[in-house]
Amino acid sequence: MKGQPDQLRAGQLKAGAEAATAGLPALMLSAERLAASLTAGAHGQRRAGAGEDFWQYRPATQGDTARSIDWRRSARSDGQFVRDREAQVAQSAAIWVSAAAGMDFTGGPDRPAKRDRADLLALSLSLALLAGGERVGLAGQPARMGRVQADRIASGLVTRQALGSDEDAPPAEALRPGQRIVLIDDYLGDPAPVLAYLHRAAGMGVQGAMLQLLDPDEEGFPYGGAVLFRSVSGALSHDTRDAGGLRAAYLARLAERRTMLSRACMTAGWHFGTHDTAAAPSQALMWLWSVLEG
Amino acid sequence: MLVLGPIGFLTPWLLAALAALPVIWLILRAMPPSPKLVQFPGTRLLLGLRDPQPVAQHTPWWLLLLRVLAIAALILGFAGPVWKPAPEQAGQGPLLIVMDGGWSAAPDWPQRQARVLRALDAASGQGQPAALLVADGQAAGPLAFQPAGELAAELRATHPAAWETRYPQDLDDTLAEAPASLSTLWLSDGLDHPGRAALLSALSSRGTVTVAPPQGVGLSLELVRGDQPSLRLRSTSGAIPPAVLAMGLDPQGAPRELARLTPDEPVTQGGVTSRDIPIDLPSELRNRITRFEIEGQAAAGAVVLADDGLRRRKVALIGDGGATEGQRLLSPTHYLRRALAPSTDLIEGGLGDVLQASPDVIVLADQIGVSESEALLQWVDQGGLLIRFAGPRMAASERLAEEPLLPVRLRAGGRDIGGALSWGDPRGITPFAPEGPFAGLSIPQDATVRAQLLAEPSPELAGRTLAQLTDGTPLVTRAPLGQGQLVLFHTTANAEWSNLALSGLFVQMLDRLVATARASGEAPEAEATEETFWTPELVLDGYGRATQPQNPVPVAATEFARGPAPGAPAGLYRAGERVAALNAGGQMTLAEWPGATIENATQAPGIDLRGWLIALAALLFALDALGSAWLARGRSGRALA
Repeated sequence: MKGQPDQLRAGQLKAGAEAATAGLPALMLSAERLAASLTAGAHGQRRAGAGEDFWQYRPATQGDTARSIDWRRSARSDGQFVRDREAQVAQSAAIWVSAAAGMDFTGGPDRPAKRDRADLLALSLSLALLAGGERVGLAGQPARMGRVQADRIASGLVTRQALGSDEDAPPAEALRPGQRIVLIDDYLGDPAPVLAYLHRAAGMGVQGAMLQLLDPDEEGFPYGGAVLFRSVSGALSHDTRDAGGLRAAYLARLAERRTMLSRACMTAGWHFGTHDTAAAPSQALMWLWSVLEG
Repeated sequence: MLVLGPIGFLTPWLLAALAALPVIWLILRAMPPSPKLVQFPGTRLLLGLRDPQPVAQHTPWWLLLLRVLAIAALILGFAGPVWKPAPEQAGQGPLLIVMDGGWSAAPDWPQRQARVLRALDAASGQGQPAALLVADGQAAGPLAFQPAGELAAELRATHPAAWETRYPQDLDDTLAEAPASLSTLWLSDGLDHPGRAALLSALSSRGTVTVAPPQGVGLSLELVRGDQPSLRLRSTSGAIPPAVLAMGLDPQGAPRELARLTPDEPVTQGGVTSRDIPIDLPSELRNRITRFEIEGQAAAGAVVLADDGLRRRKVALIGDGGATEGQRLLSPTHYLRRALAPSTDLIEGGLGDVLQASPDVIVLADQIGVSESEALLQWVDQGGLLIRFAGPRMAASERLAEEPLLPVRLRAGGRDIGGALSWGDPRGITPFAPEGPFAGLSIPQDATVRAQLLAEPSPELAGRTLAQLTDGTPLVTRAPLGQGQLVLFHTTANAEWSNLALSGLFVQMLDRLVATARASGEAPEAEATEETFWTPELVLDGYGRATQPQNPVPVAATEFARGPAPGAPAGLYRAGERVAALNAGGQMTLAEWPGATIENATQAPGIDLRGWLIALAALLFALDALGSAWLARGRSGRALA
């Protein structure tokens, strides 16, 4: 009963992501720390292996098939030579989208829920990366190449169940050296797990970007009068008689949170950006793009 | 009761609570509104924040107005508002209710009961004692005043009587225990009855009298006895009355409507319109009628029960007693019996015997030298109809010229036409005169007369002739004698002199003649010396429904003659062989009420607004609940928080 709308939604999501990525040039991640990466990527490994580019001629040895012998090179001498190609391994990127209950929030019917926007950005980025021959996966899942992987990511995003709690943290145990990490969240929950993750990533030399995705209501706090605020999961609530009077204090706390995250990112060599759901998604995508390319 | 414009309040002191409305307004206004529930992911950032300056927010004005209006509606509702309340019962003292209890009050009896109940309710609300006087002539002893609420059960058990309204005869006795000052509500049937003026003046002297007139039109139906019984329909209104139905048993024995009678031109006198309704029905049909009634009028006075007077005439047949069995087809009485039996009650025997039975008609077939002619003469003189037939015995008599009790003098010796020794042919019958009793009867072509008795020419002969032959000689002659009549057929009642007796015309002529006979309704007067008792066989209730009497009590003839009374309700009574109906309907006189207040019958008692206002309050509270729910929408999950 639930599969049908999910498939529909997966199709819609993919179509939307393809539309969003149509204008992007092919993305090739910089290949630093490639040698240390355990996962292969389409980057030269500076050794012989499977690849497109010529690496070296070497004398044929036992076990080389006749087909593998480069006859043009062998004709210039008496020995038989085999043409080796440079081993190429794809760069791998992991994308994490928060599944906290708060991500399902939207402040108005004219804009999507934060989670929908996050899914769109994640898949757009995946498509762009896949088109560049990169290995992409959702955090905690294996990164693969090819168009099929885009379908898997799309369905993984869609079928992922929203958590009942307000807190969701990226899986620190799935961190691998050489990965590029993209974290998309509203970062309105407890900041400690995120800071711990950043610390560990920095320790492993993993680089990435954090995108804070907020609804305009969360950025502007357009409330007034007697209001009982409740987190989406219902776990936290705050009763006030004069919500309008709280605006300044709230905005100050939000700015403080951003400053803290931004500082933590700088320390870890990461990038921190913000995006709100009222803005066009391509803005955030361009920012992610430029950050990953650099 | 406080009356403000068209609205009256039963408990006006409750209206003082309206003064509390502004306070309620202020209290409701100061109540903190329920906070709006907002789902907000950034709630964590708000934790611990303090309101800079708490602002008391007002309840929306429309919600406030709704609540105050609802409370106002409740207060007004409990104050007992009545829209256009009926004027209060006159006077404050004890209440006496007089209900006319005769049949004329029957058609709207439930409305009368409802009106009295209303009055009793009002009286018990004010703590007045009350008494109920149902004027049906059965109340006895002084009126007992008691708490008004206790009279309701007694009231519900009352029914209209099957006789006229009767007021107490001894007013001093009836009002012996009544207080000197009382107000009276009189539910009148609109008609005047004996003793009404006296009762009215007695009650007027003690206080105000309010009269509730009847709501419908009073109708009564009466049987006018006479040679041609007819009905008389009286109405208190000049409007076209309902139809009068003749009810009876159909040939299968089931009761049903046999005919609808059309009334003559109305005659209005003293506000009462009366219409005569001739009972113009074939005798076969008429003999089956058991009652006449006014369609849709459920009252004993709208019913006329049929009795002997309406039904068959008693016809005594005196023929020649010596006829043997072999001569039966030659006997004149055979033809007469066959002709009269379907529509009349036949008595046969000697003249002395049949006169005891006081018949309406006596038929003598070819009798000469009537014995006991004195008694017969007296009977005719008192209104009897004597029909005689000629015959060979009369023709042979030498003393025919001296024979008494004949309408015309007869010439001795008969006349023979068309016989073997006569010159002419048998004569036919000329068409009947249009004003005579045989008017309109058609004469068969083959009806001829061969022999007849001839009358002596005289100046009166033409005037006494009812039918004649083609040669101008009389066939039937008639002459009055005292209150009665003498009729002579100049031919035989059998086929000896004429074949008239074989035709249908003979039957029709006899029927017409018998119908002219005076009905001997008052015949029992002859036995007035010895008291006759009439036993009810079938009695009517006040609504005109026939029931079997539970304990039939014989009624003395003198009381019976006075009409329906408490001991003798309308109905069918039997005394020996005779059956007489006692019918309630009769003369109507409109009542007048000098000095009394007459209630407007169309005036509504006032609409009680209490239920409506409380319903309105409930509706407003429901709207308030909806509005509050709308304001607090989205708070459904608060219990989880």
